[in-house]
Amino acid sequence: MSSKPKASEYSASESEKATASIALADKQYFKDKYLPKLTELRDRSSNENYQGVARGRAQADTMQALTNRPSLAATRSVDASADRAAAAGSQLLQGSLQGLAAQRGDQINVLKQARGMAADATSGLSRAAKISTTKNLQFAQAKQNRRNANFAMGTKLAAGAIGNVQQNTLAAATKGQTNGGDVSKYANKGFKSFIAPGSIFGTDSND
Amino acid sequence: MYDNSRRKEDRFSISNLATVDNPEDTFANITRGDYEDYLKNFRSFEDQLLDATNDTSLIDQAREDAPEQAKISAGIQKRNIERYGGAGLSNAQRQEQARAGQRGQALNLAGNVNNARVEQRSVNDALLKELIGVGQGVNQNALSGLGDASAMSAQRAAAYKNAKSQHHSNMVGLGGAVIGAIFGI
Repeated sequence: MSSKPKASEYSASESEKATASIALADKQYFKDKYLPKLTELRDRSSNENYQGVARGRAQADTMQALTNRPSLAATRSVDASADRAAAAGSQLLQGSLQGLAAQRGDQINVLKQARGMAADATSGLSRAAKISTTKNLQFAQAKQNRRNANFAMGTKLAAGAIGNVQQNTLAAATKGQTNGGDVSKYANKGFKSFIAPGSIFGTDSND
Repeated sequence: MYDNSRRKEDRFSISNLATVDNPEDTFANITRGDYEDYLKNFRSFEDQLLDATNDTSLIDQAREDAPEQAKISAGIQKRNIERYGGAGLSNAQRQEQARAGQRGQALNLAGNVNNARVEQRSVNDALLKELIGVGQGVNQNALSGLGDASAMSAQRAAAYKNAKSQHHSNMVGLGGAVIGAIFGI
């Protein structure tokens, strides 16, 4: 005949007790160590100036691209200032957007963690620092490059023309010199004196 | 980096583990405590995020940026003109530069505010989408919790009903046996 059931036979085994004890200790450890970190992350994602960082970078990028080499051509240009303001405004908007998106990303991560859901490990602030260049900045930069290139080409042409004129004038000034010193026949005159140095194209026909 | 010398046997000894006499009560307390922690630390944060789906900070900022940037750019232009000794600009050219600046400011304001509206909506929608995802998870957890509680309640009711009918049939059996014994059946 079977005996009466004993309460001791229905008590928790040593293994169950150990599992429960470890679970409780881990839970307490989580509460002491990890929960404060999560609340710290919550505060940081709410109070940190994400947009300030991104906007600062955006403004620096714009000014670095558009004002690092001031030129006379850009200074004389009618629309350079307006282009620069447009580029800066667009870049700042881009900076604000990146900052806000990064902040929201971090905040939603904190909420997901708090709700016990999977979250991304990447910090939004590191993403926010990578500001993409806006169309307006590219446009202003291209326009400035074109303006500078035109100016450089003009300067080069002018310098060349001045050199040619000087050479032709010097050659013409030797007229009447003896002992083979007269090379005035090589000097160009008129429009030709701007585009060609005397020693190359100059002929007697100029005289 | 992990510093092995910091290891302290007494601190990490498993002999310090608390004994759990009543796991059910402990679990119930922890579950309540977790929810209290959430309410205390994250409920208002969650409410703020829900409100942020109507955020207009990008648009507001864009409105402030246009005149500010026009002012900065005009300052740069002025300094460049001084740097080049007037840059050979006539009064008419200077006036045209100023007019171009004003036109640019108006265009930038309109353009940036419009772009900011689009971007703001995109950020707010992305946030809303994430929050809805979180909300779905919360809803599922809540339903799952309620489902478990309901199933356990139904099981208990069924067990009680079974026990009652078992008891009834035992009593009937016992009564039948007693009557049978009395009457020598």
